[in-house]
Amino acid sequence: MRLDPTTPSLLGLPLAWLGVFFVLPIAIVAAYSFDVYSLNPGPHGFTLGAWRGFVHDPVYLRLFWKSVKMSLTVSAIIVVLAYPLAYYLALSGTKRKYVLLLVLIAPFLTSYLLRVLAWMVILGDQGVVNSFLFWTGLRSPAHPISQLLYSRFAVMLVLGYIWLPFVALPIFVSLESLDRRLLEAASDLGASRLQAFRRVTLPLSLPGVAAAFLFVFIPTLGEFITPSLVGGATGYMYGNQIVDLFGTGFPDWETGSVLAMFLLGVVTVLTVAFSRFLQPRQVATD
Amino acid sequence: MDVTLSRNGARALRVFFAFVVVFLYAPIVILLIFSFNNSAVPSFPLSGFTLHWYREFIGNSDLRGALETSAIIAVLSSIGAVLLGVLASIALVRRRFRAKPAVSALLLSPLVIPYVVFGISLLLLFHQLGIPRSILTVVIGHIVICIPYTILVVMPRLQQIDVSLEEAAYDLGATRLRTFRSVTLPLILPAVVSAFLIAFTTSFDEYAVASFVVGTRVTFPIYLYSALRFPSQLPQVIAVAVVVITVSLAVVLAAEIGRRVAERRLGALESG
Repeated sequence: MRLDPTTPSLLGLPLAWLGVFFVLPIAIVAAYSFDVYSLNPGPHGFTLGAWRGFVHDPVYLRLFWKSVKMSLTVSAIIVVLAYPLAYYLALSGTKRKYVLLLVLIAPFLTSYLLRVLAWMVILGDQGVVNSFLFWTGLRSPAHPISQLLYSRFAVMLVLGYIWLPFVALPIFVSLESLDRRLLEAASDLGASRLQAFRRVTLPLSLPGVAAAFLFVFIPTLGEFITPSLVGGATGYMYGNQIVDLFGTGFPDWETGSVLAMFLLGVVTVLTVAFSRFLQPRQVATD
Repeated sequence: MDVTLSRNGARALRVFFAFVVVFLYAPIVILLIFSFNNSAVPSFPLSGFTLHWYREFIGNSDLRGALETSAIIAVLSSIGAVLLGVLASIALVRRRFRAKPAVSALLLSPLVIPYVVFGISLLLLFHQLGIPRSILTVVIGHIVICIPYTILVVMPRLQQIDVSLEEAAYDLGATRLRTFRSVTLPLILPAVVSAFLIAFTTSFDEYAVASFVVGTRVTFPIYLYSALRFPSQLPQVIAVAVVVITVSLAVVLAAEIGRRVAERRLGALESG
């Protein structure tokens, strides 16, 4: 096929921008992870030292596994919570479904940090929950429930709160595009509602569920903002470790680059594995 | 019989939906209440009504400076992202070329990169090239992040537009640029405006990447983050939170209403 002469001029700028400011930076991180570049003066060249250290040091992999478990739990819980919401909007025949969808999603479009702030106000030792308990006499002010804030629980609650509205969206889209005639056919053939759901609706909505799951799992896996604000010691995640290795205390850019490349590798594998669920419809039907 | 839901099922789902909406909005309402509370510690019982915190934040020049910096960065980033996104969308929708799946994958890939990884990548790039961190380094990062969003908004709209309209313009002797200006752009304008708004709000709120590449002029999220670590500033920050959340909800609503009105008009034009 003949290349339209204007295509390079259309794609040139966007591709150059991503090449220089997206692909090249990642290549530099890879170079640091192999010690091709280094923060330390003196001789250095290609070695696998930092990678070997990463694989043999149980601290990093254990922390990674802990973060995987935390974000898996959060993603699974909120996908399960979001499914009925999306189902209600898409299939209950409510007339105001787009208004309700907007109501559901609007909190997601407001500031991330301010939503974390709201939970700090709610969960703190002097916060809304505890001070309410003191006020009603259910708990003495000397003994607040202090595990509420600065804990793994707080991180997971806040992450779930932040991502819940967003998760409903891909599920809604897949349910909305469901051909209702299939359900009528199932019903005509004698299927109960539950059977129709299990054999028709659920399987056909799985791509949306998979996309929703991935869209939450990936950002929460690399999360460092919420854990650093509400996580305390027990809520410390893999992303915090990466930030700390590039921090001002004892920077170790080589190890930090290894951690970052490992996370990127895992995310890339997941994205490719799930990619058929992630294709925007428009691209898929091209 | 309705195949999807029984009457009781629908009722149960409606109650569940209402419950979740309460869960989503309660924290925001709590912020609203405490922003007017006359106490340095946000806790029960409420101790009286005050506008003190709002007055204090209006007088806080650091905070105003941070808001201003974020606004500048958001404007530059969204202009850049929309420009690049529209170019890429036209190529993806209107042109045929062999590497299209790979190109569209690359253009959308900033959607799935963990921001902590992208942040340090940019940090190392600027370090390696010896570029000092500034407003521009943040803009560079935010444009990358926002490109996929603008493509995802503009592309579907472009696909809805009949190619024959553009071909008619060529046949009548219009150049490509002229055709874009007089035919394509007016038709995709609603999508371009919402792409701009999405990019603006994304950049304005972005902390993770900015935290690695920000210079001496801090952005609003970075100011907020450091304020969140000092409880004494909390009530003031809560007041700002209320203002920012209100404004962003208003922008979202306005964008949605505007988009619908525009779509309806365009729909009427196309069918009429």
